[in-house]
Amino acid sequence: MTSLLEAQNISKSFPGVKALSDVSIHLAAGSIHALLGENGAGKSTLIKIITGIHRPDSGNLLLDGKLFHFSGPREAIAAGIGVVHQERNLIPRFSIGENILLDRLGGYLFKPIDYESVHQEAKDWLDLLELDLDPRTQVSQLSVAKMQLVEIAKALSLKSRVLLLDEPTASLTSHETVALFSLLKKLRDDGVSILFVSHKLEEIQEICDTVTVLRDGRNACDSQPMANVGRQDLVRLMIGRNEQIPNADLRDHKTEEPVLELVKVATELGHADINLTLRKGEILGLYGLVGAGRTELAKSIIGRYRVTHGDVLVNGQKAKIKSVADAIDAYGIGYVSEDRKQEGLILIHSVLDNASIPIWKRLSARFGFLTDREVIAAINPLVEMLEVRTPSLQQLVGLLSGGNQQKISLIKWLAANVHILIVDEPSVGIDIKTKAYIHELLRKLSDEGLSVLLITSDLPEMVALADRILAMDQYRVKGEIVNNRNYPEVSEKIMGFIHS
Amino acid sequence: MRFYQTNEFGLFALIILFGAFFALATPGFASVFNVFSLTRIMSIDIMIGFSMMVVIVTGGLNLAVGAIGVSAAMACGWLIEAAGVPYPVAILLALAFGAFLGAINGILIVRSGLHSFIITLATMSIFFGLMIYLTHAQAFRVIVPEFAQFGKLRLFGTVSALLIVSCIFAIALYVLYRFTPLGRQMLAAGANAAASELSGIRVDRTYIICHALSGALAGAAALMVVARNGAAIPSMAGHLGQDWLLPAFLGPVLGGTLLMGGRVSLLGTFLGSALVTTLTNGLLQLRVGEFWIQAMLGAILLFAVLLDLARRSYLQRRGIY
Amino acid sequence: MNARILRYLQSDWAGPLLIIVMGGAVIAALKPTFLSPFNIQVLLLAISVNAVIALSQMIIIGIGQMNLSVGAIGGLAAISFAGMMQVWELPPLMAAILALLIGLTGGLVNGFIIARTGISAFVITLASLSIFKGINLGITKAQPFYHVPDSVKAFGNTVMFGPIPWLVLPMVVTVLLVFYLLTRQRVGRYILAVGGNLHAAELSGISVKSTIMWAHAISGILAAMAGIMLVARLQLGQPSIGDDWLILSFAAPVIGGAVLAGGHVSVAGTVLGVVIVAIITQALVLFEIDPFLVQVVLGGLILWAVGMNRIREVRFQKSLKRI
Repeated sequence: MTSLLEAQNISKSFPGVKALSDVSIHLAAGSIHALLGENGAGKSTLIKIITGIHRPDSGNLLLDGKLFHFSGPREAIAAGIGVVHQERNLIPRFSIGENILLDRLGGYLFKPIDYESVHQEAKDWLDLLELDLDPRTQVSQLSVAKMQLVEIAKALSLKSRVLLLDEPTASLTSHETVALFSLLKKLRDDGVSILFVSHKLEEIQEICDTVTVLRDGRNACDSQPMANVGRQDLVRLMIGRNEQIPNADLRDHKTEEPVLELVKVATELGHADINLTLRKGEILGLYGLVGAGRTELAKSIIGRYRVTHGDVLVNGQKAKIKSVADAIDAYGIGYVSEDRKQEGLILIHSVLDNASIPIWKRLSARFGFLTDREVIAAINPLVEMLEVRTPSLQQLVGLLSGGNQQKISLIKWLAANVHILIVDEPSVGIDIKTKAYIHELLRKLSDEGLSVLLITSDLPEMVALADRILAMDQYRVKGEIVNNRNYPEVSEKIMGFIHS
Repeated sequence: MRFYQTNEFGLFALIILFGAFFALATPGFASVFNVFSLTRIMSIDIMIGFSMMVVIVTGGLNLAVGAIGVSAAMACGWLIEAAGVPYPVAILLALAFGAFLGAINGILIVRSGLHSFIITLATMSIFFGLMIYLTHAQAFRVIVPEFAQFGKLRLFGTVSALLIVSCIFAIALYVLYRFTPLGRQMLAAGANAAASELSGIRVDRTYIICHALSGALAGAAALMVVARNGAAIPSMAGHLGQDWLLPAFLGPVLGGTLLMGGRVSLLGTFLGSALVTTLTNGLLQLRVGEFWIQAMLGAILLFAVLLDLARRSYLQRRGIY
Repeated sequence: MNARILRYLQSDWAGPLLIIVMGGAVIAALKPTFLSPFNIQVLLLAISVNAVIALSQMIIIGIGQMNLSVGAIGGLAAISFAGMMQVWELPPLMAAILALLIGLTGGLVNGFIIARTGISAFVITLASLSIFKGINLGITKAQPFYHVPDSVKAFGNTVMFGPIPWLVLPMVVTVLLVFYLLTRQRVGRYILAVGGNLHAAELSGISVKSTIMWAHAISGILAAMAGIMLVARLQLGQPSIGDDWLILSFAAPVIGGAVLAGGHVSVAGTVLGVVIVAIITQALVLFEIDPFLVQVVLGGLILWAVGMNRIREVRFQKSLKRI
């Protein structure tokens, strides 16, 4: 089988993290090739390297057997590679037609843009996808799903030989998905090479003929025929069998005081009828797929967004959390953000400055001044306790590894003495060793009285850590289950809740 | 990083170098009167630089520094001349007025969510227009003699007393950023507002305080101009206060206060402004046409931001930004 | 039919037009001289020049940036125009073309540095404003060029017919060309695409760098054009031309509905914004209100207009996230 597009032994590092290590993939003409992997496995990075947005540190890219590298999207498009990314990339105030034909508008000097023909040609591409839309519509008026389809139409209009689709069905209805799939099959029969990235294993098995799985930046498998690989094999390749997350003993908190209760809570972000009870020393898991609204709920609890209806009770008392400062100082609630680099830490500031933000006020209470010495005295013990690997406390946090950065995030809240901690996706982009350490730490802290609300999309992690698990979908709580650490049983029950 | 590799040392070295060059190249430069005049202008430029610096730290801009400064100075003049207020009180009230105007900027910015550029562009116009209207573009010339006397005061026979004032403010600001929670919060909010908010910092309130501080510092700078001139003149900062914009940026940017916010260098801003004043003064002494000096200053600013960019790329390559 | 009317009412120029009609009516009722041919002529002279200044900034707002050097480029072109005619005795048309080229060059310098370095347009144009102003002062030594040819003076001060001055002609041509550029020319659409979503534009294969350079080049030419027109109207080459353009150059586009983040500007709205400013300035004179208050009004207008635009923009952004 000759490969139309080939990546050989691609490695790519960003400061602090090795995104891809010796990754290979072979895309054949006339095939639909699945690319699987968890969040952070390296799928998006690989796509960005193929389309020229990033340069690989080492390795080769071959198109038609010839070495290539693109210095930007324009060259990739010209070479016949079309992409539809995960995030939407349209010009909001332009029409559908103009967006689709954006790089082929014409219109120089004395020749004005012929919008009639632009919209006519766009209509042809929309028809291919069975999209009944007026190409003159402003893109901003479309739903997110329709926008995604417009982008697919745009990629098709480039008549690419290679089509890279990153989560193309994420927002589509089943009807729209069916139409898309029949179109993809037709393209495949015409010789187009399609790369299909998706989390939905059923879809992958339905339409793809080849599969590559990435895990932690490496190949778990490279371009295997789909016929040889079953669903369980795929799952195993994605999460890895030698990853032993030690299951902790079962604990029962029924007799403990509730530290946090949400009663019929609705938020300004769209949550409704959220009921939740977190007891002292408990780890309550919040599971859901991307877009379920878990992070948004967490941010509403800590006061970043408004609770519009219902009651939030802390230690049995009604709480009026008006701001994050309120949540921390008055109610002792902390939040470890899922987006460590943008929201969790200040990368250009030091370890010391990052870890001490919530305690500055407290440390300076006497005279209004505080010195580094006082801050160090408060923070250093924690830094040592958590075995953070850093040359000094003045080291800029951005220079630390992902695992150590996460530890600093945690230290911040430990120093602030919170008694309720919401942890959002604690293990994303972290090495295995630190991940195990953080699991142990959360377990130990909760044994000592810290109450934890754990948000994670990593089901094995959830089953290993949580005492009880809530399933969320579309900004609602769909069900609750007491965790008996039986992975197949628990994961099936949760999925059942979500898809009900 | 060793001290001699730092930006501040580089600026210091350049000041010494240029100072020496000008002193040798023209007799007038090192004269007692010129050094006095130089240190006087320097003090004012440093204060103007500080007033913009405290806003740059938050990642924003304050185009209204000149307008606020002049308004505060004219308010002081009015208080002394028309209202007969004793001058120490008038000075404090003027600074408070500057802070008040700055706070208005801050409140408008956080409430509207708009970029500080357009808000301060508008308030620059409003504040200046109101000031001109209320004063009928008339100067206050009967300022109490103490003002002009202070403006003429020399230490060691050569250095203007105004420089001491700038130094005091510099030290106060240093204490703010290093030893108070508020200062640290300003730096955090400026570096990453989202992370700071989620860590419990009231980012909005911090921004408003920064702008108020900027207004007060602008007022202080303008009062120093009054001391130098012996009168409060509405045109002291040009049309709409525009004349202050260039020195306001040059000091901080040369000094290493990144435009993206979150980092500050007091000493750098001090030395940066000092360097610019020295260069300008020296070139004037060399009889370089004063009209070309403005072009030169623009070129220096360009150079300074390219340097800023280089610093940012350095941080980027190290993965910190 | 109703849907059409509704759409027109929601457009950027409907609000300003309403204000002009109502405000104009009120002023005319109180001061009949407002509508006298002489007054109309004065208004049109002001509007002609200011419209070109506003368009010069509007292009840059369209790409999501700001250009502080609009006035400095205009001023430099203005004194060059006058100087070339006076000192080198060039015919007006040639001097004008060369002055436009100076504007183009100034804009290209801005655009090149901004595109290449990625440094914020604010700082780059703050620096270039000082450099251009400095060159201006260096050449003129703060002295105006007094000897402007009579033909130029006449063009800037006489009427075509009725109360309509000749100066309106270049303004109308410029307005139409800019409109055509932004609606039917690839360069114009790319400017708005880059301003609307830079990342998306780049991924579609648009060269963001050259689009930025085009935008600044055009802005420079327009600024120079305004400078030349002003020399004709003032009848001398004043070095201070351009010193007070900054506020106006932002006020008019913003009143006309421009979104400062980029991607949405309105030529008609901008021109109407210029008209509003001109009428207000006039009214202050007619009602013998202190002319210094013009600054206050301009600032207030900007605040009000950006506030309104912001509300609309927030609503727009929210609608983008709809499922």
